[in-house]
Amino acid sequence: MSFLKLEGIKKTFGDIEVIKGVSFAAEKGEFVVFVGPSGCGKSTLLRMIAGLEDVSDGKLAIENRDVTYEEPAKREVSMVFQSYALYPHMSVFENMAFGLRMNKQPEDQIKARVLEAARILQIEPLLERKPRALSGGQRQRVAIGRSIVRNPKIFLFDEPLSNLDAELRTQMRVEIAKLHHNLGATMVYVTHDQVEAMTLADRIVVLRAGLVEQIGTPTELYDHPANIFVAGFIGSPKMNFLQAKAESDGKVLKLAHPAFTGGVLTLPTPKAAKVKNGDTVTVGLRPEHLALSSAKPLLSLTLDLQENLGGATQLYARSGGETIIMVAPGRPEIAVGDTIAAGIDPHNIYLFNASGLAL
Amino acid sequence: MAQTTATPNRGYGRWTPLWFLAPAVLTLFLIGIYPTIFALVTSFRQYNITRPRDGFPFIGFENYINVLSDSTFWSSLLLTARFYVTVLPIQIVLGVAIALLLHKPGMGFLKSLARVTLVVPLATTYAVVGLIGRLIFNRDFGVANQFLNWIGFPGFDWLGSQSGAFAAIAIMDIWQWTPFCALLFLAGLSMVPGEIEEAARLETSSKLALLRYVQLPYLLPGLTAVMILRSADVLKLFDMVFVMTRGGPGSATDLVSVYIQRVGFRVFDLGTASAQAILLLILTIVISRLYIRLIYREVN
Repeated sequence: MSFLKLEGIKKTFGDIEVIKGVSFAAEKGEFVVFVGPSGCGKSTLLRMIAGLEDVSDGKLAIENRDVTYEEPAKREVSMVFQSYALYPHMSVFENMAFGLRMNKQPEDQIKARVLEAARILQIEPLLERKPRALSGGQRQRVAIGRSIVRNPKIFLFDEPLSNLDAELRTQMRVEIAKLHHNLGATMVYVTHDQVEAMTLADRIVVLRAGLVEQIGTPTELYDHPANIFVAGFIGSPKMNFLQAKAESDGKVLKLAHPAFTGGVLTLPTPKAAKVKNGDTVTVGLRPEHLALSSAKPLLSLTLDLQENLGGATQLYARSGGETIIMVAPGRPEIAVGDTIAAGIDPHNIYLFNASGLAL
Repeated sequence: MAQTTATPNRGYGRWTPLWFLAPAVLTLFLIGIYPTIFALVTSFRQYNITRPRDGFPFIGFENYINVLSDSTFWSSLLLTARFYVTVLPIQIVLGVAIALLLHKPGMGFLKSLARVTLVVPLATTYAVVGLIGRLIFNRDFGVANQFLNWIGFPGFDWLGSQSGAFAAIAIMDIWQWTPFCALLFLAGLSMVPGEIEEAARLETSSKLALLRYVQLPYLLPGLTAVMILRSADVLKLFDMVFVMTRGGPGSATDLVSVYIQRVGFRVFDLGTASAQAILLLILTIVISRLYIRLIYREVN
């Protein structure tokens, strides 16, 4: 049996259904990330696991116990909030001890557990301070510490890094990953940042408009996105999409788009069997897979803009009204307005049918 | 032709701010500062307006000594203190209860209706509250006795008995001021950030613990305000009591300001009355400072 199990979870606010039936299971010790654009319902879903939002329909179980209608405090989950939500009038020590005190733990045990958590998070010198005397990163550690001391069944994180600056965010991301490794705890993490999702997750749940788009490991999602949405969401910079008219003889696919060299891309692939003549096929090309090459050019483009990132250069090129982004290593010697040729390994070409599903 | 460098007169001169402030300051001076200074001056003089031939002689601290050795003054002050400690805890507890009910999510329309209703007692003049009180607690046709009869108790001469009259003015004061407490506490509760309340709900399922450890700190500024305003207000509470009981029966509801009014405008001993009023002012300031020192805490 799975450790955390969601079965047909729905949530309605008035007449509006924001979660439209999510089923999903996580194993013990797994790091699961809910990712999706704003308003996809990922935070609502997390809050329903915590018990802060009522479940409108469906079943929620933690360690084989039905907790669908259980009070938040009795679910043995802890949550790290976006705003950290520390009790402003309590010291760091008291903030971390509060949950244990409420559970009537003996005083010496409270002390031992708080000190242990403080040691793990390196916040021992801050224990007597009030939250207002802490920096954002320190507050975040205290919020995580408050979760750790309670030794919960599941750690929930609601966009915990979005209030931190970029450098601190990267640092805390690494620390959360280490923490997960060291504690071996089950964690559910919500973010809209696909980099956080890719780096932290054992498994990613991609949500859109209250529905699961795809569940899989970061690699699965990157290599085999189920549809255009997931393909566009996972990976940075975003995947390029070209809509092409297809001709298929069952073995070889011919895709017509002005961006392709000669106007046509010929692709021998078993996927050709799934395409009928005249279908519209969306071709997906990841910027990092495209390479400047004149040996086997697949795309002929006009350079619009280049952004020097230091070690690499991001190129914005145009053809047939579409802008194609590609990442070239180093600093290629080309100028805006030049015609460039780009190649790609045919294995790295993604194909989607007219309804957006992967072929 | 020479260019003039003078800026155009936009009607804003050095004294313009003064003209805007003047009406408010003047009014404040006339109805606030001047009477206070007059009372302060009078308190050091003998001044009885029924005996104009005695004049307005300076007598030092004699009025103050008289007041402090006046057992009626002390007993009226004590009664006022008793009134304060009777009504305030009830107002605070009821106020917190109402605030918690209104803070709960759901029933949006009814709640905003209730919030508006809370303002009604606050907007009612003290004298009118007194008049209503006289009707409610009337022995023969008041609704208080009607209600007692309904639930099977005999009627009761509220305003004619010592404890009844005290209870009656206390009940009217509670009616008038509980909504004020409720509104202040509601404001305090809505200051608690949602995520902090949620964080606590994940750690304890006890509503009482939530109130005590998470919400209460946000209520303290409101609580201090209530205590300060109410102590100042009870010390000057006059109209409602005067209309309902005139301090009687006997001295059962003879609160300190009712007593001062009697000294000042029945006996017309304005010197003594002024000394009493100044002492009350000092007492109010001292009490307020104490509350601020002891209770007031800013959460953030």
